[in-house]
Amino acid sequence: MGDSQYSFSLTTFSPSGKLVQIEHALTAVGSGQTSLGIKAANGVVIATEKKLPSILVDETSVQKIQILTPNIGVVYSGMGPDFRVLVRKSRKQAEQYHRLYKEPIPVTQLVRETAAVMQEFTQSGGVRPFGVSLLVAGYDDKGPQLYQVDPSGSYFSWKASAMGKNVSNAKTFLEKRYTDDMELDDAVHTAILTLKEGFEGQISGKNIEIGIIGADKKFRVLTSAEIDDYLAEVE
Amino acid sequence: MSRGSGGGYDRHITIFSPEGRLFQVEYAFKAVKAAAITSIGVRGKDSVCVVTQKKVPDKLLDQTSVTHLFPITKYLGLLATGMTADARTLVQQARNEAAEFRFRYGYEMPVDVLAKWIADKSQVYTQHAYMRPLGVIALVLGIDEENGPQLYKCDPAGHFYGHKATSAGLKEQEAINFLEKKMKNDPAFSYEETVQTAISALQSVLQEDFKATEIEVGVVRADNRVFRVLSTEEIDEHLTAISERD
Repeated sequence: MGDSQYSFSLTTFSPSGKLVQIEHALTAVGSGQTSLGIKAANGVVIATEKKLPSILVDETSVQKIQILTPNIGVVYSGMGPDFRVLVRKSRKQAEQYHRLYKEPIPVTQLVRETAAVMQEFTQSGGVRPFGVSLLVAGYDDKGPQLYQVDPSGSYFSWKASAMGKNVSNAKTFLEKRYTDDMELDDAVHTAILTLKEGFEGQISGKNIEIGIIGADKKFRVLTSAEIDDYLAEVE
Repeated sequence: MSRGSGGGYDRHITIFSPEGRLFQVEYAFKAVKAAAITSIGVRGKDSVCVVTQKKVPDKLLDQTSVTHLFPITKYLGLLATGMTADARTLVQQARNEAAEFRFRYGYEMPVDVLAKWIADKSQVYTQHAYMRPLGVIALVLGIDEENGPQLYKCDPAGHFYGHKATSAGLKEQEAINFLEKKMKNDPAFSYEETVQTAISALQSVLQEDFKATEIEVGVVRADNRVFRVLSTEEIDEHLTAISERD
């Protein structure tokens, strides 16, 4: 990594010891659409707003929640194009692991490798950090897991987390509502209510996306009809 | 205390500004508008049509060499709005990529795959300092085997979306407002309606009536998947139909 003309890093320390490019990247994340994740006792749910720039956009051509492996999914807040790069790299890393060890990559390993890529872009020559934070949801032998990865490359495991525009309200709401023994269905309802808190306009299956993974270890994105059903239950 | 603006280079290369913006990408969008051309794309029930202005700045220029509408493969078209030189680079790379795809995988590159490839390339320019973003917005059109007519828009930021109708260039926002009204109830336009909506949108937004030599029109149709640039006679027929209709 490191572009020929730029053999020096663009992300350098300020006199106070801060890496300002990373801070600016976090600002970019903070102005992105809200997304959140909740770890239940028997699964994980991740969700995001899907506000499109115009009604002329074909919403079926856009999917913000992506599958990395059959049992790991990911959502982001921030810059969509940067997210696509990370999805591509992570999928390749997962596949390389599988090729070598003949077993599916554990969630922690995939998160670590993705975070390592993000860290590289804060230190390599001629590149800027990624303008996304990721919420990775997976279910493997260690049970359901939820990780948040930041532009700096640091990652933590969360019981519930939120990112993007409405992060502080969403986190407060989640702190109140979270219980350790939540079931997946309750978690989906809570996720919807959290998104609804800061939602401008009418929430529907067409302008949010929800991905879930349960004990069956199969990550899937809900159809807009399924989301509408959950919305009706929540009303 | 931190030096807020990153040494003042945040406007010169694609690094973050303090507000988390990429100025070079935003300036690339401005470069698209500076070309002073507006383009429109409309997706119908079984066809897609793209229209753009054809401004020939000098009478001595060979008009046939002034074009923004490029076939990428027999079945995929690309309308490039913005800087002509950047457009030609993009088209050259896209043609290469589509041909390699056909060779490697044995089937024609689908519209959305090409659009994603263009967008991913554009993203690289927004993250690596050694290349600036291209000052081009690309409208990619084709008929997909499974999903029918497709129209994708790829921009300098690396975004790409499928569209029912869209616009790019100087009067982009006015055109999108016009098209939103027309497409509000999800109409299923026939081929003629698709072309006429696209042309009349351009005429309405620029507030002028065109001659057939002043616009370029490209189409793909489900019953004839080849990407075609319409001849002046065909454009004339549509223009006449529009003026008779009004």
